[in-house]
Amino acid sequence: MAAHLRLVNVVKRFGAAVAVDGVSLEIEEGCFFTLLGPSGCGKTTLLRVVAGFHTPDAGDVFLRDRRITHLPPHARGTAMVFQEYALFPHMTVAENVGYGLRMRRVPPARARDRVARVLELVGLLGHEAKYPHQLSGGQQQRVALARALVVEPEVLLLDEPLSNLDAKLRLRVRDELRELQRRLGQTTVYVTHDQEEALALSDRVAVLNHGRVLQVGTPEDVYRNPASRFVAEFVGLANFVAAEVVAPGRVRAGGVELHVDGLQGASGRRVVLAVRPEEVRVRQEPVDGKPNVLRGRVRSATFLGAVRRVTVEAAGLGWIVDVRADEPLAPQAEVSLELPAERLRVVEEEPTDEQRGGGRS
Amino acid sequence: MVLSGEVRRQLADPGIVLAFAVGAGALLLFVLYPTLRVLAYPSLADYLAIPQSVRWVQAARNSLLTTALSTTTAVTVGLAFAFATTRPDVPGRRFFRAVALLPLFAPPFMVAFSYILLFGRQGLVTRHLLGLDVNLFGLPGLWLVQTVAFFPLAMLVIAGVLEGVNPSLEHAARNLGADEKNVLRTVTLALARPGIAGAALVVAISVLADFGNAVVIAGGMPLLATEAWFRMEGMADLRGASLVVALLVVPTTALFLVERYWVGRRRYTTVAGRGTRLEPPPTYPPLRWAVFFVCTAVSVLVLLVYLGVVAGAFTAVWGRDWSFTLEHFALARDRVGSLWASLRVAAGAGLVTATAGVLLAFLTSRALPLRRALDFLAVLPGALPGVFVGVGFVLAFNRPPLELVGTPWVLVLALAFWHLPLGYQAAAAQLQQVDRSIEEAASNLGARGLHVLRDVYLPLLRRAFLEGFTVSFVRAVTNVSIAVFLVSPGNVVATFAILNMIGNGIWGGAAALTVLLLLVSFAALGLARLGAGRALRPTAVG
Repeated sequence: MAAHLRLVNVVKRFGAAVAVDGVSLEIEEGCFFTLLGPSGCGKTTLLRVVAGFHTPDAGDVFLRDRRITHLPPHARGTAMVFQEYALFPHMTVAENVGYGLRMRRVPPARARDRVARVLELVGLLGHEAKYPHQLSGGQQQRVALARALVVEPEVLLLDEPLSNLDAKLRLRVRDELRELQRRLGQTTVYVTHDQEEALALSDRVAVLNHGRVLQVGTPEDVYRNPASRFVAEFVGLANFVAAEVVAPGRVRAGGVELHVDGLQGASGRRVVLAVRPEEVRVRQEPVDGKPNVLRGRVRSATFLGAVRRVTVEAAGLGWIVDVRADEPLAPQAEVSLELPAERLRVVEEEPTDEQRGGGRS
Repeated sequence: MVLSGEVRRQLADPGIVLAFAVGAGALLLFVLYPTLRVLAYPSLADYLAIPQSVRWVQAARNSLLTTALSTTTAVTVGLAFAFATTRPDVPGRRFFRAVALLPLFAPPFMVAFSYILLFGRQGLVTRHLLGLDVNLFGLPGLWLVQTVAFFPLAMLVIAGVLEGVNPSLEHAARNLGADEKNVLRTVTLALARPGIAGAALVVAISVLADFGNAVVIAGGMPLLATEAWFRMEGMADLRGASLVVALLVVPTTALFLVERYWVGRRRYTTVAGRGTRLEPPPTYPPLRWAVFFVCTAVSVLVLLVYLGVVAGAFTAVWGRDWSFTLEHFALARDRVGSLWASLRVAAGAGLVTATAGVLLAFLTSRALPLRRALDFLAVLPGALPGVFVGVGFVLAFNRPPLELVGTPWVLVLALAFWHLPLGYQAAAAQLQQVDRSIEEAASNLGARGLHVLRDVYLPLLRRAFLEGFTVSFVRAVTNVSIAVFLVSPGNVVATFAILNMIGNGIWGGAAALTVLLLLVSFAALGLARLGAGRALRPTAVG
C-alpha cells in the first residue's frame, strides 16, 4: 500500500541552525504516528512543514501521490491541534468548530449537523454557545480536537496537545484520543517529548534528535531494540556497558566475559551494550556455573510503589535494576546479577552535543 | 453599618484615618465640588432653553460632526500604525512608532498652528510651493489637525490589544482552510475590534474636549469646547459658560463610562497555558503595503508639525520675507517670564498630582469603607474636558471662604486634579504588583499603618510618583484649555502668551516661544527617563 503521507529528504534551516536535517518518513493510512524527541530536536518544525507553516529548504512532502511541498496551509487538507489550542477567543464553541466548514463553504445546515456530530464525539454537546474562556483546560483541548476533526482532514496533526493538562486529566484524554483515532481510522501525526505518551498512543514512533530520525518502529520495537544509545536512553532507562568483542557472541566488560546473543564482528572491536533495569535478574543467593552472572553489592534502594529501584555495584560498574517492591533488598546486601544473553544489545554510540553544535525546534 | 474585622483594624490606625480624611477631603473639594458647581450654576430654565438657542444648537451639532469625522479618520490611521508596529515584517515599524508618539508631546494647539503656517493662506507648502489659495480655517482644517493630533491615542489602545493576540490564531485559521482575505476578516480584524471600539471612545472624548486646536483653526465655526471661553472672555457670561461646558460634559462622561466599564473588559487576551508560540505569520502583502503607505504619508504630516513651527521660529516675516532670523527668540526672551510661570505652575501641579495619586492609590488598595467612591472620584477627572474643569474652578473658588481665583494656586490645583487619574492609575498599577506578603512581613516585624506606606510602599512607589509627576508636569506645561480660564495677570503662562500672539498674528514670536516650550517638555521627559530608567508612557493632551 502506498504511504498516505510521505516526507522525502526534508531540510529546514533557520539562519545557520539546521532544524530538520534530511528527514524521510512514510506514514501509512490510519496510522497513529508519533514524532518523539527532546525539545529542539526538530519535531515541531517537521510538523509545521507538513502543515505548511514552514516551507522546507530542500526535500518534498507528498500526500498520497500529490506533491504538497509548496501548497499554502489552507489548501492542504491537514488540520492541526496546537499545543496552546489556539481557539478563537471571539467565537463560541460552535463557531470555533464550524470555522473550517465555513471556510470551505459548506452549507450552514449541513455544517451545523457536522458540528453537532463531532461535538458529540468529543463529549461536548450542550456547550455550543460557550466561549473558550468559559471552558476548562480539558474542554478547550477537546474543542481544539473537534475543530480539527470536523473538516475530515487527510492527516490530523497534533502538537503536544496534552502538555497543558494536569497529570490525571492527561492520562484520561490520552486514552480517549487513542480510542477516537482507532474508531475513525484517522491518519495522525503526533508530536511529543514524553516517551510514555509516545509508547502508549502510537502505532509507530520515530525518535528524532538534532533534526535527524534515529529510529522508526513500533513502540515495542523501539523500546526493546533501541538502535542507538540515545534512543535507549531517551525511551526508558538503560544500563550501558562499554565492552570489547573477544569472539562472536562474546565480549569482555569490566573484567568479566559476557555472552551476547547474535553479536557479530571481529574481536578487538569496541561496542556499547545496553540492558533495561527490569531485564536484569537479581538473586540474593550466589549462583554458580551460569554465564553472565556477576557478584555485587547493593548501594541504594528506592521504593517506587510497584517496583523497587536498586543500584548495584558489580564488576566495577554501577547497575540500575528494578525488582519487585516486596523483595527485601537493603543497602550492603550481597547479590548476584544475571544479565540474560538475549537481552544484551549492542547500541551505536552517538556523537555528543559538543561535537555537533546545538539544534533548535 | 457592620464593619468587617479587617475594616475595623484599618480604622483603628490613626495614621490611616488621617490619610483617609485628607484624601477624601481633597477629592470632595477639588473634584466633586467644582463639578457640582458647574452643573448647578445654570437654572433649570436655562437648561430647558438650550434647544431654543440657535448658536448652541449649532455648536453642539458642529462638535458632534467634527467628533464623528475626526474620530473615524484618527482611528483608521491609528489602526494602520498599530498594525505597522505589531507586525515584524512591515518595513520601518520602529520609525513609525517613534513618529506616532511625537504628537502626544506637542502643546494642544501646535498641530493647528503649524498647519496654518504650512498649508494656510500664507502656507509655505500651499501658497509658496504649490501656488494654491487654501483656506484652512473651519471644518476641513480642524478635521485634518485633529486626525494628526489624536491618532496616536488610537494607535496605543489598538496596539495594546493586538499585542495580546496569540499569533497562532492566524496559523490556526489558515490551517482550517481560510485564505489570506478570510484570515484578515474573520480573525485579525475581528480580534482587533475591542481595541478599535476602545480607541474610538478615547479619541472621541479627546476630540470633543479639544480646545487648543479648535481655538486656533476652527475660525468662525462655533464649537462647544471653545464657546465657553468666548462667553467668559467676551461677555463675562458665567451662566452661559457653565451651561455650555455642562452640555459638553454629558457626551464625554458617557463615552468615558462606556469605555471604562464595558469595552475595557472585553479584551481578547488569550489566557492559554505555556506553549511554544509560533512567530507571527507573514502579513498579507496588499495589507502590508497599504499599511506602509498610510503610515509613511501620516509620518510626513507628523514631522511637518514640528518642522513648520521650527521654520516659523527662524523665519523673518512668514509669507513675505523668508530670510533667516533669531529676532523672534529675542522677542520670546521678553516673555521668558511666562516660561518661568509655566515651569512653576507645572512643577506644583506635578507634585500635587503625584502625591495625591500615591496617597489615594494606597487608600483604595486597603479594605476601607467608601473605597469605591474614592476610586471613582480619582478617575472621574479623566471624563471631564479641560474647559469644564477651568469653568468649574472659576465658579468654585471665586468667592470667600476659598477665594483662590487670581492667585497662582488655583491654576496649580486645577491642573493637578485634572491630571489626577494619571498619577493615581500609575500608582495603583504599581501597587498591584507589590506582593501583599511584603507588607505582612513588615507588619510582622512591627511596622504599622502609615509606617507601612513609608517603609514598604514609598520606595516601591518612587517610580509611580515620578511617572505621575512627569506626565502631569508635561501636560501642565503645554496646557491651554484650563489655563485660559485661570491665568492671573502676574502669572501669564507661556501657552497663554503663545495663544495671544497667534491671535494677534505674531507668528514668529509664537513659534519661537513654542520651540522653547518644547525644549522644556523634552528636557523634563529626558530627566524623568534618566530617573526611571525607561521611557514613560505618553498620554493624551486635551
